[in-house]
Amino acid sequence: MTDPILAADRLSKHYTLGGQKITVLNEVSLAVAKGEFVVITGNSGSGKTTLLSLLSGLDLPSSGRIAIAGCDITGLTEDQLAPLRNSLTGFVFQAFHLIPSLNALENVMFPAELKKDPEARAKAERLLDRVGLLPRRHNFPEQLSGGEQQRVAICRALINGPEIVFADEPTGNLDSRNSDGIIRLLLDLHDDQRTTLVMATHSQSLAARADRVIRLNDGRITDADRGEQ
Amino acid sequence: MNLRFLFREMVHSRGQAVIFILCVALSLVSIVAINSFRRDVRSVIVSDARSLHGGDVIVQAHADFSPALQGELAEVEKGQGVTALTTWEFYSVARRGDGGAALFSNIKAVDQGYPLYGRVELLSGREFIDVLAPGRAIVAAALLERLNLAVGDRLLLGNTSLEITDVVSRESSRPVDFFNFGPRIFVSTADLASLDLVGKGSRVNHQVLLKLTGESRPDQVAARLQARAATGQEQVTTSTNTGSRVKRFFDNLLFFLSLISVFTLLLAGIGMQSSLAALLRRKVKSFAILRSLGATGWFLLRHYLVLVLLLGAVGCGLGIVAGLLLKQSFSGLLAGLLPENIVLGASLADVVEGMGLGLVVVVFFTFLPLRGIEEVKPATIFRKEGGAGRSRTTTRLLVVGGLLLLFGLVVRQLEDVWTGLYFMAGILALVSLVTVLVGGLLRLLGRANYQALALRQAVRSLLRPGNASRAIVVTLAAALAVLLAIYLVEQNLRATYIDSYPADAPTLFCLDIQTDQKQGFVELAGGAVELFPVVRARLQAINDSRINREAELQRRGDSLAREFSLTYRDSLLDDELLVAGEALFGRPDRPGTLPPVSLLDTVVGMGDIKLGDILDFNIQGVPLRAEVTSIRSHTRSMLYPYFYFVFPEKILRAAPQTFFAALKVAKEEVAQLENRIVARYPNISPVNVGESAVELGRLMEKLAVMITFFASFSILAGGLILVSSILATRMARMEEAVYYKILGAGSAFVLRVFLLENLLLALLSGGAAVLVAELGSWALCHFLLDIRYDPYGLASLALLAMTIGLVVLLGLLSSVTIIRKKPGRFLREQL
Repeated sequence: MTDPILAADRLSKHYTLGGQKITVLNEVSLAVAKGEFVVITGNSGSGKTTLLSLLSGLDLPSSGRIAIAGCDITGLTEDQLAPLRNSLTGFVFQAFHLIPSLNALENVMFPAELKKDPEARAKAERLLDRVGLLPRRHNFPEQLSGGEQQRVAICRALINGPEIVFADEPTGNLDSRNSDGIIRLLLDLHDDQRTTLVMATHSQSLAARADRVIRLNDGRITDADRGEQ
Repeated sequence: MNLRFLFREMVHSRGQAVIFILCVALSLVSIVAINSFRRDVRSVIVSDARSLHGGDVIVQAHADFSPALQGELAEVEKGQGVTALTTWEFYSVARRGDGGAALFSNIKAVDQGYPLYGRVELLSGREFIDVLAPGRAIVAAALLERLNLAVGDRLLLGNTSLEITDVVSRESSRPVDFFNFGPRIFVSTADLASLDLVGKGSRVNHQVLLKLTGESRPDQVAARLQARAATGQEQVTTSTNTGSRVKRFFDNLLFFLSLISVFTLLLAGIGMQSSLAALLRRKVKSFAILRSLGATGWFLLRHYLVLVLLLGAVGCGLGIVAGLLLKQSFSGLLAGLLPENIVLGASLADVVEGMGLGLVVVVFFTFLPLRGIEEVKPATIFRKEGGAGRSRTTTRLLVVGGLLLLFGLVVRQLEDVWTGLYFMAGILALVSLVTVLVGGLLRLLGRANYQALALRQAVRSLLRPGNASRAIVVTLAAALAVLLAIYLVEQNLRATYIDSYPADAPTLFCLDIQTDQKQGFVELAGGAVELFPVVRARLQAINDSRINREAELQRRGDSLAREFSLTYRDSLLDDELLVAGEALFGRPDRPGTLPPVSLLDTVVGMGDIKLGDILDFNIQGVPLRAEVTSIRSHTRSMLYPYFYFVFPEKILRAAPQTFFAALKVAKEEVAQLENRIVARYPNISPVNVGESAVELGRLMEKLAVMITFFASFSILAGGLILVSSILATRMARMEEAVYYKILGAGSAFVLRVFLLENLLLALLSGGAAVLVAELGSWALCHFLLDIRYDPYGLASLALLAMTIGLVVLLGLLSSVTIIRKKPGRFLREQL
């Protein structure tokens, strides 16, 4: 693979709980090519969310290195990571994590406004229109259903045109009808914009549609279609 | 009762629990301190009543006693175990023996054997009875200091030269020296005639004190004497029912402090409610889960009720201890104002009362949030659900019952139903005004469009659900408004009466000028002097309804039962205007059947008197019935001479009278003129108005410090609510901070949002406080005190800056850990 958009080298993550050291990730290495759709799968507690969290720079590894678009993010401070998170990456979470005090439109606009994009509103409205939520743009998260909240979260992740979108169990809190809709939406966006998509999921049907599947077990990659270890 | 559940709940919510305890403690601190102090003061005054008043029965008048009373006194004195003693007390000017410096002093002429009760301690250690003799004077140390005299020197008093033989170190009838205009001089009654200071119409308090050691009961003796006393001129009281200036001063001071402490209690109560509501809001999901597992609403309610009562009891204990410690600081705050023999201790009554009061307050302020627990439905696990819609009638009944309980508590504290009602209405008006103002401002903030992202986020955060922004702002604003209003009113009073004493105002008042001294006095004073006739009288009845002396003595401020100075003239003064009535004494073409009298508006309010009302006066034994024909108001400060009752000259011309003069003399010439007046007319009492204003200023300053000190406790209540809200919304703030970071915001942005949120909170609180305080102080000064109002903009700005500093500092301190939190770690903890 030449110039991967995302690369991890010997990533480990340990926690100390009640004086006992717990290893959640153990020496994991991987590389993701630009435009690739990668699914990370595994049982509950296998380390999927932790891996995604480290790859996206939301947490610090105990050891190992991570590079996004050729930039080593391992030693960066929160403030140095901020512009990367704003422009290079987007996040979609299982629990949506919309800002409760902002309405749907403001939630979507927020990353663009941080970037001082004068087109923030227009872009947000276009995205919401695309996911069928323009009429609900003034509703607050608590006034939206789970599926609607996740669609808003996806719009928010995409507004700055990120290179990579990280999605952690994006359909985990949704029923099958809403799940199908969200998966279709993510894949359409991936196809249309050739955005790199790294997704942690239990869903076998989603895994079947991925360019590559990385299977985790007890913090180690046990199987990777075209993956590296 | 599941104690483990209780313990777990307490540990899990320890932050809010601490705030709750502090709110309960704060609600009690000042009230416990004041009530305990009141008990100490009253105990001293009651236990030392005989020492304070000098006898079991006190007979007094401002002139010689009537023959009937004198006869009855002589009969009483014949009784077994009855000792009688006469005193005369008045003000006059004492001069150095060489005729040099003079000083307005309080003279007390006493019989041999004084005092019947209590002691007059002398600096030499000798007994008072052995030292005081005709031709001698025992003086207060202040007199020696101010006249630069020493024991053994001569003192000129009236027409007599006396030898200073000793110095008073403590006097049981004068436990507090602060309220006395002049230093004390004791002389023997044998010298009274030669002093020649007690003339007809002089301002003298003549007393006969009776000590009863036999079978006679003071109340029976008093009743016997009262039956022969001239109504309205002679008073007969016992040591237990007579009034005292010391008691009156402390009653008034403690009343104002009580007002402030009840205000603090109410604010701290809001703090309790706010912190409990915040704690319960965080627990809603847990309640729903417990309900879904089979716990009943009553199970949750009773556990939380016990939890709240436990925390309340801890808070009460803390508040009581803090209150009693605070009371100890009174000796410093009220230095010079406290009776020397007062013991600031702690009693069981303090603890029992504090605990009872605290628990009542806890129950009142927490029952509504606690009732909400029962209404949590299991379905809340999935989605926010409304309450079960519990009977509104029951809730209303509980609220009304609680308010009545609170009202009872306020009345008990203020010791007056009407004052309690006015206070509650005032607080309600203040809180309503602030609530409406703050509500409007918050709505405006919420509706406005913001270009700056951080500002928009700050506004949204401020309005975040569960933020209790309104409660914080209302509480802080109300507390700050009261504090600022106290300061503003005090400053305006000071500016009007002390700092900027009007250049054209009198600098010297002269009292007790006799009719035959008028001409000589005018010449002595240098010509144009206006003399006001003064006729002493008492008001007996209004429209045939007799003045209730007992009730009047209980009244705060001026009383209708006191002796008044009537005057006569046929026109309005320059600084007077008619506010009711066609002319000063009615229309000349329609003369009434009764003599007319014009009233000053101040006295009208004291007795609900209207035009046409009939007033009965007693002028030194002579009755006078008059009809109110006009009501006047005066346009200048209260340091100008003014009279409540003005009659036409023909009505009072023949009455026994003295004259009062207000002189405008250059300040540096006042002392010389005083000396000249006293040297020629020893019976005339000159009062240096400038000096009195300075003394008044010192007293005001001392009291203002005390009141401000107590008012500052209410600020703490606002601070606690702020901290409570910060704790309650900590998770929401952390969540927001993490989301901002995930979406690409740096810590500077997050910090800016928090800073702006706190800044807005402070600006709203401080701004509303300044607005309400300025408005309220202006209204007080304009309508009630009738003085010019200066808004003291700098003070308002300082308050605003202080509020901003406090709120921003507290807010930022709590935000530091939030800003440092790694997003990944936070999200993992939420799983």
